[in-house]
Amino acid sequence: MTHTAHTMPGAIASGGSVGQPIEVAALTKRFGNVLAVDDLSFAVAPGRVTGFLGPNGAGKTTTLRCLLGLVAPTSGTATIGGRRYDHIGTPIRTVGSALEATGFHPGRSAVNHLRIVARAGGVDERRADETLGLVGLSESAGRSVGGFSLGMRQRLQLAAALLGDPGVLVLDEPANGLDPEGIAWLRAFLRHLASEGRTVLVSSHVLSEVEQTVDDVVIIARGHLVRACPLTDLTEASHGVVVRTPQTDQLTAALTAAPGVTVVTQSDGSLVVHGADPAAVGRAALTAQVELHELRAATSDLEQVFLSLTGGATS
Amino acid sequence: MSTVSAPTTPASPVAHRPRLVSSELLKVTSTKMWLGMLVGVVIFIAIGIVASIFAPEQPGLAQPRLTTPEGMRNLFANAGGAYVFAIIIGALGMTQELRHQTLTSTLLAEPHRNKVTGAKMAAYVVVGAFYGLVGVVVGYALAFVLLPLKDHTAVPGTALWQIAGGAILGSALFAVLGVAVGTLVRNQIAAILGILVWVLLIEQLVVTFLPSVGKWLPGGALAGVLQTTGANGTTYLPVWGGALVLLGYTALFATVAALTTQRRDVT
Repeated sequence: MTHTAHTMPGAIASGGSVGQPIEVAALTKRFGNVLAVDDLSFAVAPGRVTGFLGPNGAGKTTTLRCLLGLVAPTSGTATIGGRRYDHIGTPIRTVGSALEATGFHPGRSAVNHLRIVARAGGVDERRADETLGLVGLSESAGRSVGGFSLGMRQRLQLAAALLGDPGVLVLDEPANGLDPEGIAWLRAFLRHLASEGRTVLVSSHVLSEVEQTVDDVVIIARGHLVRACPLTDLTEASHGVVVRTPQTDQLTAALTAAPGVTVVTQSDGSLVVHGADPAAVGRAALTAQVELHELRAATSDLEQVFLSLTGGATS
Repeated sequence: MSTVSAPTTPASPVAHRPRLVSSELLKVTSTKMWLGMLVGVVIFIAIGIVASIFAPEQPGLAQPRLTTPEGMRNLFANAGGAYVFAIIIGALGMTQELRHQTLTSTLLAEPHRNKVTGAKMAAYVVVGAFYGLVGVVVGYALAFVLLPLKDHTAVPGTALWQIAGGAILGSALFAVLGVAVGTLVRNQIAAILGILVWVLLIEQLVVTFLPSVGKWLPGGALAGVLQTTGANGTTYLPVWGGALVLLGYTALFATVAALTTQRRDVT
């Protein structure tokens, strides 16, 4: 495939596409004996990119399918601007979505795929060519989708989501199959869409894939909500000072004497200090006459935070 | 290409109602399948016409001959053979959407599933009627070219028009039946195999050898609409009766299909 046209979105909005909030309230979905989504509640604000995160099988796709009217919730609600999806007239003009398991007929051209959706959604067919341009697929408009790479299919999905110039975008794993260049492009694209005031909800099972893109995170595991907060809250949680000393107890006592400082002893014997910067830790060690072997700011490892929040891959 | 400026086309509502039907028709015409099936219609009907004119008499089954009005009507009824392809393309139209998961895009654009199912059926009425029309044109043309080679009697023009109308109506309704079967069976191979076994084997046998039952089946009802006469002078339902039975089946299957999709989870 060729990335010939790395177009920036430009002004996509025609003015009327103000984002609306997404609200999921006590949503529960049971498939037979499997409780896919369990009493899940969260809200997604306009003008921000929200990452909807969780390991595979956490219930992300089921939640999105409930939101988009494809799956009937067992109980609870999922609404956009206070309305159920099927109560929004010509919904693709309000909500654009790209779901992982939305397919293409391999023998149909990209532009015809979009025209079919445009017609069904009451959107002017000329938008098909425009949105292909927005995602950099203009030159492949007439080609059969069967010959498309995964990355090109992802772009085509995105074009379909943009057909109705919607104020709300719901994208399921949009970074899957994109090369690093494509991910960088997607990041800029989504940031731009949010900056225009749109609501952007992006699911992923890899936090690192979206951590440079999202403002807020909604983290779920096993159908439950784990965290819903600004990304910076997670980043702060992962910050800290790593310090190594043979006199662990003395240093811990000296540090925790100050208010708001917590110390965790790691399995390798090092301490992780929260609530104090490296300078403060060094000063405290000097005062307490504790010998230091290592003193550094912990690198922000969001993936680790994510794994611990979602219970790790296995536990 | 360079940067894209503000959209020249606002995503304004296109309010006219047949948007869903036109979307469904574009689904049909934007892949090559409909053309392949159309070639099938032409070949199938050509074989039927040629065989009816030149096939030697079959011992045991006293088929009406071309020297009788019944035989001539049977000959022209071959032009109604498009229904076999109509029901198959109707079924494929639905099962391919499930197989390639393209239906999801449509349901996102129009979450009211009854509207989507209804629009698809309306589109396949058009597709089926078109197949029926092509079948009639090809079948009649071939018959008129070849008939001078054989002894035959004249056929009244009204019968020809009625058979043509019945062929088009039958093909249109069978296409809708196909959509309904595809919706209910969902699996593409199972749906197509089931239809072929039913239409080309079971129904043919019942209609031929047990016409008192067979005439009430969809294929038997179509035989009535096409004014065919079976072996040993068997007759089927009158044209209007056959049409009503066929409409009844179509309405029944379409309703059941629509009801089953109403609440089904799309995963």
